[in-house]
Amino acid sequence: MKEAALQAAAAFLGLAGGIAVGGGLVAFLIVLDVIPRLAQISGSQSRGPALEAAVVAGAVFWTCADFFGLRLRLPGALLLPAAGLLAGCFVGTVAAALTEVLNVFPILARRLRMEERLRWLLAAVVLGKVCGSLFEWLAFRTE
Amino acid sequence: MKRTVYLRLRKRVRLPRGGPIRLRHVARLLADPELERMLYDRIVHRPGEEDGNLVLIDILRVVSVVREAAPQAEIESMGEPYSLVELVERRRAGHPVWFCLVWLLLFFGSGLAIMNFHEDVSMPAVHRRLAQLITGTDSEHPYALQIPYSLGIGLGMVLFFNHIFKKKINEEPSPLDVEMFKYDESVHQYVVTEEYRRLDARSEEKAQT
Repeated sequence: MKEAALQAAAAFLGLAGGIAVGGGLVAFLIVLDVIPRLAQISGSQSRGPALEAAVVAGAVFWTCADFFGLRLRLPGALLLPAAGLLAGCFVGTVAAALTEVLNVFPILARRLRMEERLRWLLAAVVLGKVCGSLFEWLAFRTE
Repeated sequence: MKRTVYLRLRKRVRLPRGGPIRLRHVARLLADPELERMLYDRIVHRPGEEDGNLVLIDILRVVSVVREAAPQAEIESMGEPYSLVELVERRRAGHPVWFCLVWLLLFFGSGLAIMNFHEDVSMPAVHRRLAQLITGTDSEHPYALQIPYSLGIGLGMVLFFNHIFKKKINEEPSPLDVEMFKYDESVHQYVVTEEYRRLDARSEEKAQT
């Protein structure tokens, strides 16, 4: 009886934590306008609910896979690069959205009178991110 | 018959410093051709030292100028009630060295930022786990995942900002374009409010003396 009550309490705690984390993830993506932006690029504004479902499904699936050790045993040579590229794209859009929310570029370009060269400054940030990330995996984290 | 002068003030104007501000600089007119030509040449304001580099031309000022030149004309104003004139000292872009410095600052700064982010969220461990879940085998360094991941970060940012290197992916303004516009608008709003306050203060002073 006591065991079952403890289990129920743990389940309640887990559910509460999950709701908080899931809500936080969605709120984060909404604040950054990542999903509308991707919908706009791909011309699928009308399929918003499907894109939301993709986020929810991804979060739930990979959480389960992680917790239950669900090994897919898929051909890594083919799928790993694809997974990496997609994951990177996602992080890239979030990073871009974050710098934009913080108004870094409008202020910087205006202060330095570099409005015409803005795209080169953007290129600096993009290249910096790619190089920093490559450096981390290939040179920094090799122990 | 009364002659009507239609006029629309330009919201924002950039002029080289020195020389007076004429009506043609701050407004679009529609009237009889000869009246139009005469009005366009009228001086609205002679910027002095005290004006700084931003001058607000109020619609009332323009109306009084037009009235002086053509007392019988009826004035119809449409659009903005003011025109903000920015006096520039020969437009110069930032120095190339300055630009290189900023470029390097952004380059290394963003690189460091992404590495900090990866450390914060234990990205190496996540990558190892993800590779393990997909392939079923352990790997200390899943480079096949990590190298495309790094390139993907760049791709994702380019996608988000829509254009870099002049090539637009589609015709819509990027979020950055919109953001730049909004920022400029806010600055504009602020400046106009400030300039109006100064204008009112000055005319009050004049009224008292």
